[in-house]
Amino acid sequence: MAGTIERPPDVTAPVTATPRARWMPASAGHAVVWFVVVALVVGPFFPLVYSSLRSKPIYLPGGTFTLQAYRTLFADPLFWQAVRNTASFAVGTTLLAVVGGTALAIGCNRTNLPGRKAYRLLLMAPIVIPPLGLIIGWLAIYGQGGYITQLVGQNLHLPVWNLSSIPGMSVLGAVITIPIVYLTVQSSLAGTDSSLEDAARSSGAGPVRVIARVTVPMLRPAILNCTLLIFALCLEILGIPLFLGTPSNIDFYASYLYRSWNSSVTADPPFVSAGAVLLLLVVSGLLILRARLSGSEQRFIAAGARGGGAHRPLDLGRWRWPASIGLAIYIGITCAIPLLGLVLMSCVKALSTLEVPWHLFTAENWHLVATDPTLRRSITDSLLIAGGGGAATVLLVAAATLIAHRSGFPLRRTLAPALIYPRAVPGVILGIGFFWTYLMFTPGALVRNNLWGELIALCVRNLTLAYLVIYPSLARINAEFDRAARSSGAGWWTIARRILLPILRPPLLAAFVLMFITLLSDYDPVVFLQKPGTEVLGVTMLQTWQRGVVGPVAALAVVQVVIVAVVLLLGARVLRRLRRA
Amino acid sequence: MPDIRVEHLSKSFSGTRVLDDVSFTVKDKELVTLLGSSGCGKTTTLLCIAGLQTPDDGLIACGDDTFVDRDARIDLAAERRNLGMVFQSYAIWPHMTVAQNVAFPLRVRKMSRRAITARVGEVLALVELGQHAGRYPHQLSGGEQQRVALGRAIAYSPAVLLLDEPFSNLDAKLRERARDWLKALQHTLGLTTVFVTHDQDEALSMSDRILVMNGGRILRDGTPEETYRRPRVRFVAEFLGQCNFITGAVTAGPDGSAILRTAEFGDGIAVPEHHAGPSGTIAVRPEDIEISQPDAPGSGPAGTVVDASFLGDHYQYRVAVGTLHLSVRSQCPLAQGPVRVRIPPGVATFVE
Repeated sequence: MAGTIERPPDVTAPVTATPRARWMPASAGHAVVWFVVVALVVGPFFPLVYSSLRSKPIYLPGGTFTLQAYRTLFADPLFWQAVRNTASFAVGTTLLAVVGGTALAIGCNRTNLPGRKAYRLLLMAPIVIPPLGLIIGWLAIYGQGGYITQLVGQNLHLPVWNLSSIPGMSVLGAVITIPIVYLTVQSSLAGTDSSLEDAARSSGAGPVRVIARVTVPMLRPAILNCTLLIFALCLEILGIPLFLGTPSNIDFYASYLYRSWNSSVTADPPFVSAGAVLLLLVVSGLLILRARLSGSEQRFIAAGARGGGAHRPLDLGRWRWPASIGLAIYIGITCAIPLLGLVLMSCVKALSTLEVPWHLFTAENWHLVATDPTLRRSITDSLLIAGGGGAATVLLVAAATLIAHRSGFPLRRTLAPALIYPRAVPGVILGIGFFWTYLMFTPGALVRNNLWGELIALCVRNLTLAYLVIYPSLARINAEFDRAARSSGAGWWTIARRILLPILRPPLLAAFVLMFITLLSDYDPVVFLQKPGTEVLGVTMLQTWQRGVVGPVAALAVVQVVIVAVVLLLGARVLRRLRRA
Repeated sequence: MPDIRVEHLSKSFSGTRVLDDVSFTVKDKELVTLLGSSGCGKTTTLLCIAGLQTPDDGLIACGDDTFVDRDARIDLAAERRNLGMVFQSYAIWPHMTVAQNVAFPLRVRKMSRRAITARVGEVLALVELGQHAGRYPHQLSGGEQQRVALGRAIAYSPAVLLLDEPFSNLDAKLRERARDWLKALQHTLGLTTVFVTHDQDEALSMSDRILVMNGGRILRDGTPEETYRRPRVRFVAEFLGQCNFITGAVTAGPDGSAILRTAEFGDGIAVPEHHAGPSGTIAVRPEDIEISQPDAPGSGPAGTVVDASFLGDHYQYRVAVGTLHLSVRSQCPLAQGPVRVRIPPGVATFVE
C-alpha cells in the first residue's frame, strides 16, 4: 500500500507513507543498556566474594580457596569491639532518630504549631548539606576542643559532653538521619484518612489522646519501615567514626575495615573483603525484610479509605509557642551554628575561646585551597565527576527506566531491582568491590588509576537516586502517548527521544541536580580507590584531616556547601521555569 | 484504499478469553463500528489491528499486506502498519504544539521540511484548526484537542483510520456536532474506518455497518437499520435501544410468515419471518406498540397503564397486559387506568 494511496481531491501535498527503515532492531539497543546497567551493578560483587575466599590477595601469584579470611576476621578482638560499637551506635541513633522524626512529622503536619510551613523546609537541611561539612562543623563547635565545648567547660566551668563517645556520635547520627524518618512518616500521614482522627476528636478525645491513641498507632507500619532503614544505614556509616571516633579510639564496622585496609602488613588483605561480604549479607537481609514489610503496608493503605479534604489541625494550646521556639533552637543548634562554625574555622588560625576570633583571622586556609595542587584538584575533579558523571548517569538511568517500564524487552523486569540495589549496598563495600574489579579484569585496568574509576564507582553507587526521581514521573505519563507515536510510525527509540524524554524534562533536571549534589558530597565508595592525582573532595578532606591539618579542610567543606547551595538554587529556578512552560 | 480482513482472532489475558474467534471484513471506504459494553473485546480488537496488542491466534490483513498471521508467524510492528489512530484520551503530546503534533508522523517518515509545512497547513485547515497551529494542547478546548488528534491521525494519508471512543470525553452538545463533522470528513477523504464505541446513538448515526460484540464474540453484523429492526439476538435487541420480549407458541402463517400466540394476545401477533419450532420469543420496540383509549375502535387485548412519565418529545408508559409488563412509547397523553394494546403486524421480530 505504500506510496500508492488514493487521495481525496482537496489534499495535494505528496506524502510518501514509508516509515523510516531502522538500522537495527530496537531490542539490540535495549540489550546494550540492560547489559551495561546489570554489569555495573552486579559486576563488583563477584570479585569481592571471590577475594574473600582466597588465601592471598588476588594480585599475588598462587593462593587457594579457603575460609581463612573469615577465621582471621573472627579471631581479631578489634573486629568484635567494632561490631559492639556499631551495634550500640545503631540502636541509639535509630531510637533517637525515629522518636524525634516522628514527633517532628506529627508536629509539623497535624498540629497548629506556629511556623510549621517554614519548619517543614528547614528540617530537610541535613539532607542537602554535605555530610562531611556537617560533621566538621559539629566538631568545630561541639567537639573536644570545639568552640562551645570550651565556652561551657573552661569559661563557665560546667560539666561538658563528649561528642567522641558513642552516645555523642549517636546524637549526630540521629541529626543526620532524622529527615529520612520525617519524610517517611509525613508521606504516611498524608496517605492516611484524617477523618479517623476527626472521629476521635468528635467523640471527646483531646489532642494528646488523639495522637497517642489514633495517629501513632496508624503510623506503626511506616515507623517500623524507617526503623529498619535507619538501622541498616547506621551499620555502614563511615564519616562519623573516622572524624569523631578517632580521638577516643572508637571504631565502627566501616571504619574498622578502612583502617585494616590501610594499615595491614600485606596491602589489601582478604579479611577486609570477608568483613565486607558479611556486612553486605546483614544489610541486604535487613532491606529485604523492610521491602516485605512495606509491601504489606501498601496493601494496608490501598484497602483503607482515602484521606478526605481539609483537616483542622490539632490544637497544641499553651504549648504552641514553647514547642515552636524549641524547634527553632533545635534547628539552630544542629544546623545553623555548625555551619557558622565551619565558616569561622576556615578563616582563623585556630578556633579558641581565649582570643576573640577576629584576632586570629587568617587568609592562610583559603590561600592554601587556592594554591595547593592537591586541594585544588580535588575541587575540579569533584566538579567534573558531579557534572559529567551526573549527566551521564541520568541519561543511562533514563534509558534503563524507559526500557524497564515502557518496552517489550524480555529481561525488562530485572532492571528495576538492578537500579534500586546499589544504594542499598554500603558504599565502602561497593568501593572494595570496584577495587577488585579494576584489578582483576583487563578493561578495569584502563580505569584503575585514574578519575574514571572513581567516577564509575560514585555514579553506580548513586544511580538509584536518579531512578527514584524519574520513575514516578514516567508512571504518570499516559501510555496512550507511546501508542499514538507508534501508530504514527515511530519506532521505540524515536518515541523515547521525541516523546517520552521531552515530557520528562523536569524530572530529568531534578534527577541531575540531585545526582550533582550527591556526587559532590559522597566519598564512601572511593576511599579505597583514590590515588595521588585523582583526588575528590570527600576523600581529600578525610586524608587531610587525618594529617591534623584542620583549617583548609573547613575551607573545602565551605566550598562544598556553597557549590551545593548554588546548584540547588539554580536548579530550583530552572525547574520552576520548565514547569511553567 | 484497502479492505481490512480479520479472521479467527482470539486473545486471552491471564486465562480470561477476551476475544473468541472474531472474524469480519471492513470494505474499502466503509465505516464499521464495533459496539459493545466495556470488556466486550471491542478495544482489544482495535488494538490488535493497530498492532499495539498481539492476538494469540488469527489473521489480520489490510489489502495485500498481512499485519498479523499467527500461523505464518507474521507480526508487523505497529509503527510499520501505516494506520491513523485516534485514542480515547487523544494522547496529544503535551510538549509539542498543535503543528508539531500533526507534523510528527510526517517527520518520522523523513519528509522534507517544506513538504511537512505544506501538508500540516492543509491538514489543520481540514480539521478547522488553522489559527491554532502554534498553540500547546493545554490551551485548547476538548473539541479542539479531539480535532488535533484526528488531524495527526490523517496527516500522512493513512490507509486506514482507527477510532477508539473518540467522543467519550466531549460534552453531549459537542459530541453530536463532532459526530456529524467526523462522518462528513471520513466520507470526503474516503477513509476505511474502524470505530469503537459503547454509545448506540453514535453507532447508529455514523456507521455503514455495526458489529455488536459481547463476551469476545460478534453477535450481529449489519447496517444500522438491519441491526436495529432485526437484532436476531436478545442481547443485541436490548443493547440497541429498549425492547419488549414476548414468548409464546408459534404457528405458521400465510406466505412463510409466523404467528405467535400467548394467553394475553389470543388473536396472535403476525411476524413476517419464518420460524421453525413450536415456541419462540419475539422482540418488539416500545415505539412500535400502539395504545389507545379502551373505548376506541379496533382490536387488541385490554391493558392497564401502571406508570407514566413525560420525556419531552414523547410519553413513556408501563402497561400491564395480563402477566406481561410492556414498555410503550407514545405521543398521546393517557391517564393511568385501562387502555387497549395493539401490536401491528410486521413490527415484531424473532430473537434467540
